[in-house]
Amino acid sequence: MSEHRRLGAEALLDLVAEAFKAEIAPALPADKRYLAAMIGNALDIARREMAVEEEALGFQLLDHFFDDGDGTMQELSRAIRSGEVNDKTNPDLRARLKAHLANELKVRNPRFLGGRGVKG
Amino acid sequence: MADVKDGTGIKAGTALQPDSFAALGAWLASELGAERVAIVEAALLAGGAVQQNWRLDVEVTGGARAGKHVWVLRTDAAASLDVSLDRLSEFRCIEAAHRAGVKVAEPIAASGDGGLIGRPFAVQALVAGTAQGRRIVRDPKLSEFGDSLARELGRELARIHSVRPTAGVLSFLPVPVTNPSRREVAQMRKGLDGASEARPALEYVLSWLDQNAPEPAAITLVHGDFRTGNYMVDGGRLTAVLDWEFCHWGDPREDLGWFIARCWRFGNDDKVAGGIAKLASLLEGYNEIADIKVAASELAYFEVLAASRWAAISLLQGDRFIKGGERSLELALTGLMPPEMEWDALDIIDRLMAKGRVT
Repeated sequence: MSEHRRLGAEALLDLVAEAFKAEIAPALPADKRYLAAMIGNALDIARREMAVEEEALGFQLLDHFFDDGDGTMQELSRAIRSGEVNDKTNPDLRARLKAHLANELKVRNPRFLGGRGVKG
Repeated sequence: MADVKDGTGIKAGTALQPDSFAALGAWLASELGAERVAIVEAALLAGGAVQQNWRLDVEVTGGARAGKHVWVLRTDAAASLDVSLDRLSEFRCIEAAHRAGVKVAEPIAASGDGGLIGRPFAVQALVAGTAQGRRIVRDPKLSEFGDSLARELGRELARIHSVRPTAGVLSFLPVPVTNPSRREVAQMRKGLDGASEARPALEYVLSWLDQNAPEPAAITLVHGDFRTGNYMVDGGRLTAVLDWEFCHWGDPREDLGWFIARCWRFGNDDKVAGGIAKLASLLEGYNEIADIKVAASELAYFEVLAASRWAAISLLQGDRFIKGGERSLELALTGLMPPEMEWDALDIIDRLMAKGRVT
């Protein structure tokens, strides 16, 4: 549950997720529990994604390898595969990649980070 | 194969309809050298969104299998991954494993022809127990049976790896001509080239795997999906190894790495062997039978390979929704999982590099 300053999509999703998990899911038959858990999970991911700007998170990574505003995930992937970007050219490469993964996981599965001792 | 305790009635739109029973029975009779095979009852089992699993109660008259039996018929998946085998090829792998003494649901017959019931299918004996990973790792008696089950699984894996690519054995499976781990990397890169999302972290892991691939001591049959969730357990004992559709020739350590990968421990992270036991128990059983012994220190590379493979598969599962139009919430959520496996792979690489064991 989060506090909201305006009655927009994020607030509505928050309420829908809360009502679904508290009142609808427990009333469903056993064979629908897995689907209900997936729906609850999807609502949470959508709600967290609305609170961050995913594209901006991507630029946090890309800006270390390309001029400001240039570069895409495809280009960085190609540069890593070709060996143009590697541990020697960028000694902090793994740390940068992990920082980006941590940002993605804060949206997609914050509990995963908690289980690995990383603050979500 | 789904848990057999959840039978339901026959629904419209499913592959097996009462009017196909007679044709199926006649075909089974001819395959088994019986006078007659009567399908007394057929029930669709739960849990088959992609493929269907049917419980068949049959009566066989004449031949070596005369008598009453309970079998399971699995149809081919309507949509599957490029690397997975069709139902008939998978059946041939199960037969080879069965001959090698591996505990599998006894293979009865298979048809690659879609004409009989609308899809290719395989029939195997019904096996008791559950295959649900979460249920197995959360069993209150796991502390009593976990280590012995892991030893048992280790022995089964060694039996699978005793099957070698000699003349005439599963000749439809390609034998790797290059390093099998590098071949896996090449296959994953090919998959990523067509994916909807670029993943720099996964590319890094694949480059690392390519540069650090160890040479295999032998090329053996590799199950390809040997993990908790893909074997049946009844009363703490293994009853069958399931899901052979990713079977291939390769480095046997690939199966061990897949089994211990963190993503297949179902939250029981301290129980490295599939969330059920310590690694030593799995290797103890394995090395008891295997002619090529494996040490725990050899497996970190294969854990990274496993994590990257599941990351690549997850991405492609998500694309079945994004690009393939399969409206499945499960596929969509699976498609969001790659960062988890990429994180684990980078963690292992960090550890190995800190120890100076790799480049």
